[in-house]
Amino acid sequence: MENSIVVGLGEIKISNSSHDVLVAYGLGSCLGIAMYDPAAHVAGMLHAVLPTGNLPSNDDESCTKYVFSGIEILIKNITKAGGQRSRIVIRLAGGANMLGVTAFSDIMNIGQRNIDAAHQKLKELNMKIAGEEVGGNIGRTVRFYVSNGRVAIRMIGGKERDV
Amino acid sequence: MKWLLQEAEICEDIMSDSPYESFDEQLRPLLEIMAREGIQHAAEGLSEMTGQTITVTQPTVSLVPLTQVPYLLGGPENEAVGVYLRAEGEMAGQIMLIFPYERALKLVDLLIGEPEGTTQELGSYERSALAEVGNLCGAFFLNAVASLVGMEARPTPPAVMVDMVAAILDVIIATAAGVGENVLMMSTTFMQGGREEEASFWVIPDPKVLKAFLNKKI
Repeated sequence: MENSIVVGLGEIKISNSSHDVLVAYGLGSCLGIAMYDPAAHVAGMLHAVLPTGNLPSNDDESCTKYVFSGIEILIKNITKAGGQRSRIVIRLAGGANMLGVTAFSDIMNIGQRNIDAAHQKLKELNMKIAGEEVGGNIGRTVRFYVSNGRVAIRMIGGKERDV
Repeated sequence: MKWLLQEAEICEDIMSDSPYESFDEQLRPLLEIMAREGIQHAAEGLSEMTGQTITVTQPTVSLVPLTQVPYLLGGPENEAVGVYLRAEGEMAGQIMLIFPYERALKLVDLLIGEPEGTTQELGSYERSALAEVGNLCGAFFLNAVASLVGMEARPTPPAVMVDMVAAILDVIIATAAGVGENVLMMSTTFMQGGREEEASFWVIPDPKVLKAFLNKKI
């Protein structure tokens, strides 16, 4: 039987149980970052809110609210749970601009900034993205199946589809 | 069953001097009066616009942890309509009017003078009608606050979102997350004909304007 584990705002959840499904509900501008080691069957998901902290504070380094610091913590937790960095498969979902085209959407396009931050960070870490379903102006629920590493998204009125 | 579950790393309070974190209880009476007057005014405006008596529940002023925001209106995946605008000026902040999807359809019927059940989907015309509701509520709220405390603000044009509740609320969360772990909100529920849960109306002052409130007398 499936066991859903909710990945809330600014959280990281890790699992290696094939019954588990990591779920982030209704991602708008937030970005879901799913990492999977297929050999060790270790899965982890980060639900990041913002690209990076706006203060040059050391505390930012340990904060899973941010894409930048969260990615590093996610990798660390996956390796701690038995995964190997070189085998990690990465998929992204979310990062929408919920406000669409409005007068104030440009400065507030946090969704796009989240996507850019993830791309930049993963490039720095020399890690490739296997798939992504990002941007636009639509909310997405992300399900990450630990049994096989499948990442699927669902939008309002739509069927679940793989990333 | 073998499984590992890593609890979220707790974010340090990175901005302990954030006005939200050190929310001053002295502000509460003032904010409550602003919420009551402003929201009452918005409801009166909405009553005039729709020709129906719109009442409001007692407005509340609360400091809500950001992580709870997606759950404030029931399930995070519920389909909803959000009308969002920003207030620019001395009383800067965010204003959100959020309806369950079915309720938004009925409100459109009311606005365009059609029998209930006529509107089946929200095209650009229907969305403009809902944007007008946001415009009106925002303007009435801000005008009431301006005459109460003398702080001026202009509403931006509204954005209308039709999506999952959590995705809509990400707009507020993303704006507030940069400055702390909580969000200060004035909230109420609009009702028509005694039915509750018709629409939620939230006003979220920017943290930086709260300090100015301390010097205001009503």
